[in-house]
Amino acid sequence: MENIPKIELSKHEHKPLQVNPIKLSQPMGAALAFMGIKNCMPLMHGSQGCASYAKVFYTRHFNEPIPLYNTSVGDITAILDGGDFSILMAIENITKKNTSLKPEIIGLCTTGLTETKGDDVRNVATHIEIPYCYVNTPDYEGGMESGWALTAKALIKQHTKETIELQANKLLLLPHVSIQPIEVEKIKEFCESFGFESYALPDLSTSLDGYLSQNQGKLGTGAIGIEEIRELGTCATVVSIGHSMQIAAKALLEKNPNILHLHFDHLMGQQNNDNFVSVLMKIRQIQPKSFIKRWRGRLQDAMLDSHFLIGSSHFVITGEPDMCVGMCELLQSVGGTIDAVIATTYSTVLERISAQNVFVGDLEDAQIYFENTDLVISNYHAERLLHMQERDTGLILRGFPNYEELGNQLKNDQLYEGSTYFLFEVANKLREVKYHGKHN
Amino acid sequence: MVSRAKIKELMNESACSHNKDKKKGEGCDMPKPGMAAGGCAFDGAQISLFPYADAVHLVHGPQTCLGASWETRETLSSYAGRNHTVMGFTTGITTNDVIFGGDKRLKDSIDYIVAKYAPEAIFVYSTCVTAMVGDDIDMTCKLGSQAHNIPIVPVHAPGFVGGKNLGSRLAGEAVLEHLIGTKEPEFTTPFDINLIGDYNVTGDMWEYLPIFEKIGIRVLSSLSGDGRVGDIRTAHRAKLNVIVCAKSLITLCRKMQENYNIPWVSVSFYGKRDTSFAIMEIVNALGDEALIQKAKEVIAEEEAKLEAKLLPYKKLFAGKKAVLNTGGNKAWSIASGLQDLGIEVVATSVRKSTAEDKEKAREYLGAEGILMMAPASEQSKIIDEKNADILLAGGRSLYTAIKKKISFIDVNQEKKVSYGGYNGLLNLAEDLKYAFANPVFANVSKKAPWEEE
Repeated sequence: MENIPKIELSKHEHKPLQVNPIKLSQPMGAALAFMGIKNCMPLMHGSQGCASYAKVFYTRHFNEPIPLYNTSVGDITAILDGGDFSILMAIENITKKNTSLKPEIIGLCTTGLTETKGDDVRNVATHIEIPYCYVNTPDYEGGMESGWALTAKALIKQHTKETIELQANKLLLLPHVSIQPIEVEKIKEFCESFGFESYALPDLSTSLDGYLSQNQGKLGTGAIGIEEIRELGTCATVVSIGHSMQIAAKALLEKNPNILHLHFDHLMGQQNNDNFVSVLMKIRQIQPKSFIKRWRGRLQDAMLDSHFLIGSSHFVITGEPDMCVGMCELLQSVGGTIDAVIATTYSTVLERISAQNVFVGDLEDAQIYFENTDLVISNYHAERLLHMQERDTGLILRGFPNYEELGNQLKNDQLYEGSTYFLFEVANKLREVKYHGKHN
Repeated sequence: MVSRAKIKELMNESACSHNKDKKKGEGCDMPKPGMAAGGCAFDGAQISLFPYADAVHLVHGPQTCLGASWETRETLSSYAGRNHTVMGFTTGITTNDVIFGGDKRLKDSIDYIVAKYAPEAIFVYSTCVTAMVGDDIDMTCKLGSQAHNIPIVPVHAPGFVGGKNLGSRLAGEAVLEHLIGTKEPEFTTPFDINLIGDYNVTGDMWEYLPIFEKIGIRVLSSLSGDGRVGDIRTAHRAKLNVIVCAKSLITLCRKMQENYNIPWVSVSFYGKRDTSFAIMEIVNALGDEALIQKAKEVIAEEEAKLEAKLLPYKKLFAGKKAVLNTGGNKAWSIASGLQDLGIEVVATSVRKSTAEDKEKAREYLGAEGILMMAPASEQSKIIDEKNADILLAGGRSLYTAIKKKISFIDVNQEKKVSYGGYNGLLNLAEDLKYAFANPVFANVSKKAPWEEE
């Protein structure tokens, strides 16, 4: 691997374009976040294509109808309108056309187009009766992870009431964008087993979780609604999971400085979960339930069972920074060697990954490392690239998009339990490619 | 640059059937805030040109435009070189480019692509942001083209100018302006045609091209399914333009008729009747007696072969009734296919259809058939009244099928096999066979133990 030019981790791009990109845009992350709010109407302020692409993208990833509306900015409104007109017209048109639609909050995210023309989207709230949340998410800045985080922050900032009171057992989770619906549910239940009344923001556990019901794809069906968001200031504890979510936690602390803020870069592997459990034990002054103790033992067994395969293997990981950091630390805890991490966007959390190569890039960059590694953890686009290469490198699909597999929303990599499943999946895939692959 | 005059011309296309009855200047609808569904102009332009596998398609814009859309369409290509259609190229502009302009980044990107991927051509797509900040894409492309000696074609279809259909027209304009007529073919035949608007999704074209070959029709160029940029440059020498299921490229065909005197026909290759009809349309337009005779023979032969293969399916499907809820030309083309298989189509949706599509749907379904204007609310009732056995619709209608305990096929899902040509009918028949036999729809309609009967 000596002949591969080293790309440094930097906020600045190392080439003028992206070839086979993995980066996804801020408004897409924002739209997904709004889908995790109960009876929210996610509204993208841009030309119709922005929302259409995002809608098709998520429909294919989740295999679910996706609630996403747009303001369809045209050439005339692009020039003459300051934002209010097309947003208000859109809301009126959508609710008039479908009178059964009763949104309890409108979640508006901007796009590159409307940020470039400089729309002032704040003012809309004064013209409508439905609660309204706006978030500025130009797609020429940040990425999916930051768009999601900015939305959580905006919801708190604009709707959570200031208070100094606390409800001792009330806890808010702020999960990063790569945490899938079932994982949100698992983490909530985990906290509840310690006697917490737990909330998540956004909460996809009842939205896009692959649940058969009528009237799908009209409004967000997340497990947290505007009423609950207003009262989040009384949470005694807020837990941000993923570096990107710290901004949302900070926004909440501004509403109530007495809140205890706990931060975890991820909840994968033994160490971080031990830290998580010990702090929950301390707050509630109770022992964990027996299932948690049991799962820790299973994880340790899985670490020992899989260490031989993983410990002798090389990995390349691509994806959102908060996802990458958790996977790296879990694999490294059982001896895995990380050849390269190629992240979608820059985040300071990438600095703490100890691997040969950590940088922001695309699959053109990543492909160079694919030839010399045993297993790639990446999205759907990596599949074809791996098919084309001589070496039999394994692939585990994680992150967005995954158009290949069904049941993405039910993949669980978090906590002791999910980490156990993850290690087994990795080890099984390694066994397949290393001992039963096309060159054996 | 894209001008308002050009957009106006395209939106008021005189050759387009649904503009005939409109007053001067009315033309196609522009998107209304909140009401526009489906892709934008950029999406349409990209769909129309992306299948050129020998060209690199560079999207000059921020992340959403390409980041969410690459490697999503099953437009197959037989190109032996590096297939660029399964790759994504974007300048992925950042705040800096919005403030200072993205021309330098675009130029560097073009240089990078030529050096690293050596494509036959580059299509550069403008997008909302780069159009708005006023990047001089035309000049950058022109200079790049001169420097690298390959066509570098600017495609001006930023999302805010309108919907997919308009974007497709704008892509046609770019091809007409920059490619068609810039190269001479190695040889010509009296039966050279251009295929316009078939993108070879799941290999649709490959279902009927062997039949063309048997008859002696040569495809000179394609816009753009399994197409080559080198071929489309010679398109002005064809004898006939054949539009496949795509009204959007009518403007291109009309202009080619005006500029190069090439007539055009509009056809579809879904189902047995349509395929045979399409072939006859083409040979009749080419006007050679021997060719027409040959076509008749080949059609008779192919239809006989197909009929024999369809027999077991027809037995299986006898007496089955279908309700169809999909948009555009699929409203009648799939209906036609179903009828070829002996299934009665009791209703189809014409909610988004043009006047011409409606007419065609009526023709296929007959006087008894129901043309649904509000399918979402109508289809349930019709399934009950007509005792339908299967619903073919988009994913949103799945729940209706479950509630009614009938079979379901998602016709809007990205399909993996072709329903085109004669053989495509067999693929449709296979899918239907499994759908009818599958107990899953009845099973999931069962009540939970905690629900009351």
